[in-house]
Amino acid sequence: MPPETTLPGSAARSDTSAAELAGLDALDTPTVARTPWWRRAITVGLPPLVALVLSIVIWQILWAAAIWPEFKLPAPITVWQAVESRLVTGEVLSILWTSISRAFLGFLAALVIATPLGLLVAKVKVVRRAIGPLLSGLQSLPSVAWVPAAVLWFGLTDATIYFVVLAGSIPSIANGLVSGIDQIPPILPRVGQVLGARGLTSARHILLPAALPGYLAGCKQGWAFSWRSLMAAEIIAAGPLLGVGLGAYLKQGSDLNDISMVFSAIALILVVGIGIELLVFRPIERRVLRARGLAAGV
Amino acid sequence: MSTTTSAVPVNDVSATAVRLSGIGKTFGSGADAVTALQGVDLDVSAGEFVCLLGASGCGKSTLLNLVAGLDEPTSGELVRPTGSPSFMFQESALLPWLTAGRNVELPLQLSGLSRSARRARAADLLSLVRLDGMADKRPHELSGGMRQRVALARALAAATGPDGTGGGVLLMDEPFAALDAITRDVLQGELLRVWEATGTTIIFVTHDVREAVRLAERVVLLSSRPGTVVAEWQVTERHGAGGERLHDHITSRLRQVIASHAA
Ligand SMILES: Nc1ncnc2c1ncn2[C@@H]1O[C@H](COP(=O)(O)OP(=O)(O)OP(=O)(O)O)[C@@H](O)[C@H]1O
Ligand SMILES: [Mg+2]
Repeated sequence: MPPETTLPGSAARSDTSAAELAGLDALDTPTVARTPWWRRAITVGLPPLVALVLSIVIWQILWAAAIWPEFKLPAPITVWQAVESRLVTGEVLSILWTSISRAFLGFLAALVIATPLGLLVAKVKVVRRAIGPLLSGLQSLPSVAWVPAAVLWFGLTDATIYFVVLAGSIPSIANGLVSGIDQIPPILPRVGQVLGARGLTSARHILLPAALPGYLAGCKQGWAFSWRSLMAAEIIAAGPLLGVGLGAYLKQGSDLNDISMVFSAIALILVVGIGIELLVFRPIERRVLRARGLAAGV
Repeated sequence: MSTTTSAVPVNDVSATAVRLSGIGKTFGSGADAVTALQGVDLDVSAGEFVCLLGASGCGKSTLLNLVAGLDEPTSGELVRPTGSPSFMFQESALLPWLTAGRNVELPLQLSGLSRSARRARAADLLSLVRLDGMADKRPHELSGGMRQRVALARALAAATGPDGTGGGVLLMDEPFAALDAITRDVLQGELLRVWEATGTTIIFVTHDVREAVRLAERVVLLSSRPGTVVAEWQVTERHGAGGERLHDHITSRLRQVIASHAA
């Protein structure tokens, strides 16, 4: 069926055209500039470091001015000593470990529950109509509101803590996945279809990778919520059956009227929250977005 | 050069790759229903290269989507090719999380080809579209023209199958419309070469008469609102005076069709 007419001089022409194409490619290929890691570390790490040092300096000045009594505003050094004295006994590590392990276990459990839930809500219309609004409503419910109910149901046990953490993070993760799936450009599922992907194959090769950025954003927020909920639960639900986490430590400080203990607890809570975000979620998100050419700002 | 008006040549049924009879497609319902296609009859035999020509918005993409099975016709009878046809979209539609090479490999992977075999095949296809050594680039690291060439390689991978022997159907929706003239010229040449080598059936949508005359064995002209077949030309001579005359003739017919909508 191919036509018998041959293209005149096609071999010679294809050689020059290859060169022309290569020339065009060289002209309009986007160039991706990579900055060395140390330069990035300086540009990313220096400004917050300066801000931190400045705020400690201001704190120190305020303290030195003695506007507030010592039991309201401690000196930075006293707070550091509160941490340091517990650091040498290993108490700080055990407190951190208690809280972080709880938050992570809770977060993992939330992932396991929220991922299929999000898939269901995104892909099954009836489910979306039924629990979609509830799921986004729950996201704005402060998880501390769950603590009294959980205490009544489970008593002062780990179950109470985990329940509150799950209640706090599941809606974020599920909603993240739903919006990730909703934002998939409609062309991509069609591409999958014409390439021969159906059902589960399509989910694996098209749906999930395409929804990954939204899902990751949901996970990041889910982590923040799980950490926040954990602190709320630990502050309110303290008891002999529960190990001492950061929240309980904060509560102790308040009960003992020890403002330096309170400050050190707040500082530790902040450090962990920011640290996990910077060390775990930021790099993953960066990698994923970069691979797709989406990471202009991160 | 033969001019037939909406009469479809009767082909041997066994050699028919795609057959549309009385195909209609209406979007929506009630007052704001849009009839994109109406009474479209078209037969494409196996191994044929057909160009669908028509003004913007006349329903060319809709027609290809129906043939591809991405959409269902509201009326008429449609015989689709056996096996899913391969499709090249108007935009490159690469998967942004895969490298160029993995994008080309995907249809082969889905058809169950082993890793090393599909990698080798993808490398062949990438070098066919003059993208040697670009397999590890991500779509966003490529220019628009290069992306479209990767998409062409992927469509060819799907159309010619794991062994590259072809026999499939390749549907192309204005694949080269967004490219500069030189790239388009090269890719048209490559496409003809691949078609001659593999005997793939190609339905190629364009609004560029010159492109249609250069590529196709048969040019089919669609009218707009609703889209229907108004004329067909068999292209026997692609170059020289005959090709020029055919080009001028089709262009004037296309102008007529477009002008008739002004009334
Ligand atoms: N999903 C849809 N819903 C409603 N109307 C649609 C839809 N898809 C296409 N149409 C309409 O059908 C008509 C044909 O559209 P189509 O995209 O097939 O045109 P086309 O010939 O491919 O145009 P172009 O050359 O610009 O790509 C247009 O009038 C368009 O508005
Ligand atoms: Mg179109």
